[in-house]
Amino acid sequence: MGTAKVKLDKELFKKIKKYAALSGYASPEEFITHCLEKELSKIEESDSEEEVKKKLKGLGYIS
Amino acid sequence: MKRREFIKAGAAGAAWLAASPASGLVRRIAGRRETARKVIILGCDGMDHHLVQNWMKEGHLPALRKLVSRGCFRPLGTSIPPQSPVAWSNFITGCDPGGHGIYDFIHRDPKNYFPVFSAALTEDAKRTLRLGNTVLPLSGGRVVNLRKGRAFWQHLEDHDIPATIFKMPANYPPVATRQRTLAGLGTPDVLGSYGICNFYTTRVLDINEDIGGARVHEVYVIGNRVEARIPGPVNSFKADRPETGIDFHVWIDPVHPVAKISLQGREFILKEKEWSGWQRVRFSLITTQSVSGICLFYLKEVRPDFKLYVSPVNVDPASPSLPISTPESYARELEKRFGPFFTKGLPADTSALDNDLLDEEEFLAMDDFILEESKAMLDYELDRFDSGLLFYYLSSTDQRQHMFWRLLDPSSPAYDPGLASRYGHTVRDIYVEADRILDRVLGRADKDTVVLVMSDHGFNPFHREFNLNTWLKDNGYHRLAREWRGGEEPFFENTDWAKTRAYGLGMNGLYLNLKGREAQGIVRPGAEADNLLHEIASKLEQTVDPKTGRRAILRAFLAKDVYQAAYRADAPDIILGFDRGYRISWGSPTGRMPREVFSDNKEKWSGDHMGAPEVLPGILAVNLPVRSEYPALYDLTPSILGLFGIERPRDMKGRSVF
Repeated sequence: MGTAKVKLDKELFKKIKKYAALSGYASPEEFITHCLEKELSKIEESDSEEEVKKKLKGLGYIS
Repeated sequence: MKRREFIKAGAAGAAWLAASPASGLVRRIAGRRETARKVIILGCDGMDHHLVQNWMKEGHLPALRKLVSRGCFRPLGTSIPPQSPVAWSNFITGCDPGGHGIYDFIHRDPKNYFPVFSAALTEDAKRTLRLGNTVLPLSGGRVVNLRKGRAFWQHLEDHDIPATIFKMPANYPPVATRQRTLAGLGTPDVLGSYGICNFYTTRVLDINEDIGGARVHEVYVIGNRVEARIPGPVNSFKADRPETGIDFHVWIDPVHPVAKISLQGREFILKEKEWSGWQRVRFSLITTQSVSGICLFYLKEVRPDFKLYVSPVNVDPASPSLPISTPESYARELEKRFGPFFTKGLPADTSALDNDLLDEEEFLAMDDFILEESKAMLDYELDRFDSGLLFYYLSSTDQRQHMFWRLLDPSSPAYDPGLASRYGHTVRDIYVEADRILDRVLGRADKDTVVLVMSDHGFNPFHREFNLNTWLKDNGYHRLAREWRGGEEPFFENTDWAKTRAYGLGMNGLYLNLKGREAQGIVRPGAEADNLLHEIASKLEQTVDPKTGRRAILRAFLAKDVYQAAYRADAPDIILGFDRGYRISWGSPTGRMPREVFSDNKEKWSGDHMGAPEVLPGILAVNLPVRSEYPALYDLTPSILGLFGIERPRDMKGRSVF
């Protein structure tokens, strides 16, 4: 798997580094990857998984 | 079926179906052979044997006592698992799930491990013509009832015995018959979902994107006017499949707590805390096609915050976009006589109460509409009932127990003493109401009429959640692809299938990741699979809740031991039978794995029925002697046929109880 570099504000990166360590992530990269994947999945799946979830919830038995 | 197709199956079908008649349904009703014997069945969803016994003893259920004094009262064995679609299918067909193929509310597609609705499949038109952005169907879409096995009223029809089947659960779309039938549980709203309401509010704190079963819209009051929109079905006549919708306006009285709602050229006024009657709405698709629906408005609050609730948009019985009755004219006939009525399978809006969009009083007001409406229809059917069989279904017994068990039970994690003082009798009250309905039936039944009251399962408290997928992960049967990411996301997003041997999906089901069946199966069929099943089942039955010291799972059934063979290949491999107080967690049925295996259930949804059958007996009360000490649901089917002199069909598992 290839990698790519992105530029981040220094202050923001400091915070990321701090909270990644506090939350038990192995590295800031791992933390950032997790956050981005979470956000991307929201966008990619906005009319699929989320819709399924809502429709099933209408059933009452699941969240 | 791919994920996207699954969505389409639920949501878009309504639009296509509007363009084509409910295909294949015969329009003529059954011949009216006079039968010397008549049978009336009152089906009370979730009526619990222990509660009935107690309340009958205490004198709260006089009509049931009267009925039983002329015949018998028995606990009624439910299905494995005791979920309504499964249990009612047992009753409809006289088979167990292996004979009718319905194992859960939710099945899974082994090709992608994704949930699919178990009961019905909605398909778009197969052949279409695209003109610019417009897509014209050249063939009709269709909805398929996935239940196998013949319904008992189809057997009656073979012998020319008339039957009216009112809101039978697990019969959407209604199977082809000349009998009068109206679909019940499983019938979707116009969006193709189990029911999504709309809530319009100026209170930002109410906005929660995670609410399922509801769409919460932020609105603004500008110059005493609110502009809003009711979302409709996806428009499958358009290539980009946009969501349809209906704009409406609300004019708020500057002085009084009153508002005028302007909707598609009509206006009506609501006072604060007032429900509208049914409002008809029409979602436009293309010039010649639209989908008609009906909904209720409730003006919850005018000031300081504006709050308006709009019920899920039900299929309009006057112009059904989905097949909801046989003959097709039956729904229209009822509508003509009674006006619009609830057509959604489970009409009560439990999600609205669960999410605080409606409070207890408001929820009960809506459920009272449902009761009054169906009581009027029962009277109508009783008036013209002179031969054959009449089945009448009551959903409120089930729905009120789900939502109000917490107030009957001080040990519930969701118990609230204040609310209990006001609503602690709600569960008993609905049993009393069912008893009054039985009294109406007994008042009309002559000496040749068999009156039978039955339920599909009993009810248990739901105190503790069990996260099956977390348990599988913790015990080494399920592997995450990236441990640090956890398993909170649904649909097994983070599962390493190449190292996973088992997964839980649906309310009671556990599947092996079987080679040759699942897309990335690793467990070899035969001895390896058998040994693994026994190992997991045994471990599950020994699992103890650290908080209570009790076993959560009373029985872990192996499908091959408990199901008929016909459709068993599609069944979960293990079916969990929980003990009293336990149920599958909220997230596990769709593949979530929270950190803890056990947790308290603090939701208003506080009663449930996912246990082992022995802790959830339903009831059988009938004005005839019953031979069997512990009859089961599938025994009732040949019993009914036997009352009309029809022999038990060979594929039925049940035996007559009379």
